[in-house]
Amino acid sequence: MMDKSLQVVLVHILIHIGLIFFIFPTNIIDTTTAAHWIPILLGFLFHWILISLYTKGLSLFESQNLLDIYIQFSKPVAVIFLLPLFIYTFMVTSVTIRAYAETISLVFLSDTPLWAIMLLTLLISGYITSLGVQALFRTGMLMALIFFPLIAFVLCMSFQNVDWHYIFPLWNRHFSFLTNPDYLESSFAFFGGFMYLGFIQPKVLFKRKKIIWGSLLLLPFFLMAVYIPLLTFGEETASQYHFPFIVAVDTIDITWLMFDRITMFFLLCTVTFVMLFTALTAWINVEILRRCIPKSIRTSYIVIGLSLLTFIMGINIPDWRDVELLFGLNAWMRLYVYLTIPSSIFILGWISRRKEAAAA
Amino acid sequence: MRLADRICNRFEHDGDFIIEEHILAGRPVRIMGFKSLINLPKTWANLQSRVREASLDFSRDPDSALIVLNRLGHRISEPDEAALLAVMTAGDLIIFYEDPDTYLDVVPIPVTLTRSIEQPLNENVLQGSASAFNDDLATNFGLLKKELNSASLCTKVYLSGNHSPRKLALLYLEDQVEPNLLHEVTERLEANKNRDLYNLQRICKALGFQPWKAVPKFYTTELPMEAAHALRQGRIVLFMDRFPFAMILPALVGDIFMMENDRNYPILFMYLIRGLRIAGIMINLIMPGLYVALVSVNPEVLRIELALSIAESRSGVPYPAFVETLLLLVVLELIIVASVRLPKSIGPTLTVVGGIILGQAVVEAKLVSSLLIIILAATTIANSAVVGFQNSLPIRLFKYLTLILASLFGVLGILSGLVIICAYLASATTYGIPYLYFIKPKDDSHDG
Repeated sequence: MMDKSLQVVLVHILIHIGLIFFIFPTNIIDTTTAAHWIPILLGFLFHWILISLYTKGLSLFESQNLLDIYIQFSKPVAVIFLLPLFIYTFMVTSVTIRAYAETISLVFLSDTPLWAIMLLTLLISGYITSLGVQALFRTGMLMALIFFPLIAFVLCMSFQNVDWHYIFPLWNRHFSFLTNPDYLESSFAFFGGFMYLGFIQPKVLFKRKKIIWGSLLLLPFFLMAVYIPLLTFGEETASQYHFPFIVAVDTIDITWLMFDRITMFFLLCTVTFVMLFTALTAWINVEILRRCIPKSIRTSYIVIGLSLLTFIMGINIPDWRDVELLFGLNAWMRLYVYLTIPSSIFILGWISRRKEAAAA
Repeated sequence: MRLADRICNRFEHDGDFIIEEHILAGRPVRIMGFKSLINLPKTWANLQSRVREASLDFSRDPDSALIVLNRLGHRISEPDEAALLAVMTAGDLIIFYEDPDTYLDVVPIPVTLTRSIEQPLNENVLQGSASAFNDDLATNFGLLKKELNSASLCTKVYLSGNHSPRKLALLYLEDQVEPNLLHEVTERLEANKNRDLYNLQRICKALGFQPWKAVPKFYTTELPMEAAHALRQGRIVLFMDRFPFAMILPALVGDIFMMENDRNYPILFMYLIRGLRIAGIMINLIMPGLYVALVSVNPEVLRIELALSIAESRSGVPYPAFVETLLLLVVLELIIVASVRLPKSIGPTLTVVGGIILGQAVVEAKLVSSLLIIILAATTIANSAVVGFQNSLPIRLFKYLTLILASLFGVLGILSGLVIICAYLASATTYGIPYLYFIKPKDDSHDG
């Protein structure tokens, strides 16, 4: 079997870029008034440790699926860990799609109805989901080739209006951000999207080391998402904006380019990455559901049903305030899911290794 | 009635059928065949000289005559009408003699029914061998063997079809080919031996491909160099009699913008040329959609000066940008479709008329904006930048997807369209080999 680590790393980076540049900067800027790198680095460290722990645990079971691992121990174990995951993933898909549709319609498509944008995103992500996970990762690869140059260009250009004096103060003695609910919400970007790593094997094989080192490539994006608006506007002003990063990119003026608002291209690229993200999370749910229902039901029906449910849920959220409320609720579930699953996998792996050693 | 007489009766009114009585090796024989396929005088002379070389006195030793005759061809073991007909329609000659009743299948000197080796008709070569495959299977083998002088080149020939059997050949390099691919292809060809294969759609069906996929399943080429390269990559080459190109299995995304012939340029220019082809694909997919998106959905993205000048060029155009673009795109497609089949003497007329109408009159009549003409010209030119005609077809189709989505969702629609196209390409596989797969030749002595 072939090693698909490159595809996995690229998709990992893509979906995180999709998550980082929207709500994450707002959350971080709201959590503290100075030395934003501390919460970012701390969050990233968590992200990194959890991925290491998770992949370590998975590597103890040779290329087995999360589902296989839990069921092999006992059904109740599987339910305890996978039911919250299922609910969380389902919620996160609908809330994300709703939130991004709101943002798109706010920033670019004020005339297009919300449901139309949501339908588009859901149709595309549903289509990708139905193609299966191998095709999904290949899609990610191709998207990276097409969209990365654009993203890199805009990110380089976004340093145009930067005033490096705003980087000070570099130290903050108060770690009050730890108790700030916004910080918990920012975990959406930190550990929103690596649960898939437990599901893709053995269909998509990866090497643990490459994933761990590859995920370090995300750190500059995390830093840039917060520091570009901070350095452009200063902390005081940046905290006033709803989407500080978008406004910061909007200030870029490139005289030789025919386009005035390159924000649009940047943000819409990240929206396509979000489509990939929702496709991947929906795929996780499809995988879980396939185990729970009779085999005779075709996968495409599950995808259609799930997408429909996601759409109905997304459309029924009354307004932006409720979206934020759900994000807050979701954050607690995320904390539970993302702390228990990696650690439980690690412990279970350790136990099964011990058993094997004892048997031998 | 005897078999020979029955055949005679059957072809009584057939001007092409020939049956003659002769004396060969001292015995009366009858020869049967089709005039259009057999060069009869030469064949007869050849047969006679072969008999003469035996230099035996047949009047004294009738048994030796039988031995000599039997050496001329192979004996048809169970002669019946169908078997004889099959032999004759395949272009062979039948010799019949009595006592004992024997039908011999003789390979004659055929009438040449194939053009000579010529330059490729659909793909021009700039630096490289200019001989192209032609309609004859054996010639195609020969060309490929000249190009790829290797003992590990294997050839499997199949005769497929019941009503009109046709030769089909499968070539691969023993030490390079993906075993799984070879297995799948041979198994399907064996299983579909009874199917008449006379066009590419039927071959696709026999090979078990989904018929409605937009991505080509095989890459067809007229150039022996490309076919040899594909073999070196471990792919399979299929030849059909009367098809002047090689079908390379499986088609991969690299075939759209990479040719082996590019390697005859310095490496820098090779990469530049390939980059241009990729740019061509992107321009083709994005440009029409971008025009519609920027004009009708997201004009604020453009610089204000540009937005104003576009708006000015569109003033007086009575319909939305989407209809405008679609209208002109359809006309352009019509020009391409029409000019493919036109005789060479009328083709230029069409181009000139099309050029004048599209370039000038439409703008002056304020039916479309002048900017759109520029964009569509760029699109059409870019469309031709890809390698191989069959590869330009899906790209031509995909641009309508981005166009429609762009008219609904603006720039978001274009990017969504690109994502759908990416996913579609990513989902295409041939016997488990993904379309988005880059093979490196296993004896990779050159880099890049």
